[in-house]
Amino acid sequence: MNLNDIEIDAVTKRFEDTVAVDNVSMKVAKGELFGLLGPNGAGKSTLTKMLCGMVNPTSGTIKVGGYNIRDNAMKVKELLGVVPQDIVLYDYMNARENLAFFGKLYGLSGGKLRDRIEELLKFTQLDEKAVKRHISTYSGGMKRRVNIAAALLHEPQVMLLDEPNAGLDPGNRLALWEIIQTLHKEGKTIVLTTHMMDEAEELSDQVAIMDKGKIIALGSPRQLIKKVKMENTITVVPNKITPKLMEAVKKISGVKRSYRAYDEEEKIETIKIITERAEDILPEVVSGISSVGSKILSVQLSRGTLEDVFILLTGRSLREEEQL
Amino acid sequence: MKLKRTIRQVFAIAKTDFLGIVRNKTAIFFTLLFPLFFLIIIGFTFGTQGTGETSRIQVGTVNLDGNMIDVNGTVSQNSTIGDVFVQVLKDANFTVYEYDVYGDKDTNGTAAYDISRGEIKIAVVLPANFTETLSYQYTDSLGIPIPTRAHLDLYTDPSDPTGSIIGQQSLLGFISGFIKYYQEIAINQLPENLQDYAEVLADPITVSTSEADVSGRQLRWIDYMVPGTLGLVLLWSGLNHASVAIATERTKGTFQRMVIAPVSSITVLAGKFISSLAIVYISAVIMLASGLLLFQVNLYWNVPAIILAIFLGALSAIGIGLIISSIAKNEEAANSIAVLISVPLQFFIGAFFPLDIMPEPAQIFGEALPFTKLVYAMQDIMTKNLPFEAVMPEIIYLTISGLILFVVGIIAYRLSLKRL
Repeated sequence: MNLNDIEIDAVTKRFEDTVAVDNVSMKVAKGELFGLLGPNGAGKSTLTKMLCGMVNPTSGTIKVGGYNIRDNAMKVKELLGVVPQDIVLYDYMNARENLAFFGKLYGLSGGKLRDRIEELLKFTQLDEKAVKRHISTYSGGMKRRVNIAAALLHEPQVMLLDEPNAGLDPGNRLALWEIIQTLHKEGKTIVLTTHMMDEAEELSDQVAIMDKGKIIALGSPRQLIKKVKMENTITVVPNKITPKLMEAVKKISGVKRSYRAYDEEEKIETIKIITERAEDILPEVVSGISSVGSKILSVQLSRGTLEDVFILLTGRSLREEEQL
Repeated sequence: MKLKRTIRQVFAIAKTDFLGIVRNKTAIFFTLLFPLFFLIIIGFTFGTQGTGETSRIQVGTVNLDGNMIDVNGTVSQNSTIGDVFVQVLKDANFTVYEYDVYGDKDTNGTAAYDISRGEIKIAVVLPANFTETLSYQYTDSLGIPIPTRAHLDLYTDPSDPTGSIIGQQSLLGFISGFIKYYQEIAINQLPENLQDYAEVLADPITVSTSEADVSGRQLRWIDYMVPGTLGLVLLWSGLNHASVAIATERTKGTFQRMVIAPVSSITVLAGKFISSLAIVYISAVIMLASGLLLFQVNLYWNVPAIILAIFLGALSAIGIGLIISSIAKNEEAANSIAVLISVPLQFFIGAFFPLDIMPEPAQIFGEALPFTKLVYAMQDIMTKNLPFEAVMPEIIYLTISGLILFVVGIIAYRLSLKRL
């Protein structure tokens, strides 16, 4: 019996001179929630497109549910439920009409289709009035829920969620995390593509970090963080960040890496210091910052994150990549 | 089982595509109603022409016949025949405006001024000696009449060649009738033994014109135009809709969602084809029904032939639409290309104007278009009541061009899937 729902073996995809996915191999076990993490252009989307049969690999094999996608594309498509990054619904139709359409594409009809639509309308938490309105009148969160429901109609064994939280506010984002966790508890195999480290860390059993078409790290979030021995991060908020200050921090003994980061929630510039022994070096950090004339407004100790793993492996921050 | 599922998928795609049109006011206008808009505008402008109706032709008369003139050394001021000319012109149902002078384009109240402003299409100037010449008042010293011709000056509007030609032809026809009437009166005044000779001299060649037994019906321009507008339907409803059908879905991402479902690309295409075809037929019904209700068109209704010809024409239109849809980067680009093609093409398919009036290269281009063949076939069937076999050359042309364009469209569509 095959314990893996997805098996990707030495897959490469070239677009003329560009190698979008470079010799990638990975396995996703049944019922696993697998996070595919990486900046834009890392090759996540191409890999996802190959997984759902939209793009053929240049070389290598992809199996879903034991079926080779090249030989059994239709069978694989029936096993997959794909939630695209964008809201892909017909805005001139209402939720029920959209679900009916996508259900028919997956071969559902009659009473079975009707029952499934009603079940999923409950899942979307839309009231009867909203159900009758065209999608164009829905809020972002409502659209997102219908977008997911459309991928669940045929009760797929494997789900591909491509940046499902893109453009959502924090409230809707948490609601969506709950939906993803519910689907996970139901035993579905889920591949979650994201560039949000906290999302991958919070939800995933396994994470693959991609960069420049390659998988540069693979394992559980805890394993990855442990693997690179980065248990701690010191986050300092000084009154101002200068090159001189950054240089002083870098010279402190025990600092593995330091970088400027912008805290979007607090809207402030911070310095992240990655170290294996945060508590030991904290006094040196405080004195080092003071020695160059800067004042410390706040200091916070935290364990390492996947973002730190990415920085250690690539020398770049994911957020910097997003801004490029 | 699989076939049943595929059929359900095809009709689901067709229905969704169709709803995209009927629930979008802009799409309804450009896809279904734009050809109708053309029909109404042009129909009300030119539609009733072809029935010999002259009331729409505005003629200016400058009757100088009553002016004083020297005839054989004496002053004459006779205006009898000039007045009769103007009256008969009015009786012939021309819209007549009378002027004292021809004048110039800058002087208000003159015929030239009104021509320059499009108020009248043509002006006729009757000379001061019109009556005197036609009544043989010019004589020699012995009192014998000197043969003198009366001369009319016609002035047309060079800025409106079509209106001027129509006005000129109608007025020349009227003058010819007036001359004939005058000849009969003059000949009757000759001695009886000379009258036969004079008649032959006046009309050495006789011509009789009869309408050929073509349709057995009196047809107006609109009767030709309505079948012709089915060509417009193909351009606006078929080509335009097919152009944006896939491009729109690709832009919105819904196409990708169809591709990742267990649906073959040909199933998607079949659904799009059915909805495009439905839109073409609905638009055709709207056009024909409007022709009947608004203009009371007088046509023959060989429904199976009409349905078949439209289907074959739609293959070409949808084929071109698929090619556009496949090469265009997005919905906007597809729409622009479709408009760029269909707007000029509509003037080359013989729907509004016969191709004969166009320059030769334009005629050759127009004749090569499958839509022109549809227009010809529809005009032959619906106005002349010709049997289906009579339009076989057009039908064969439509079939071959339709199949070629549709197959090329499918190839372009399949290639475009690689761009997803």
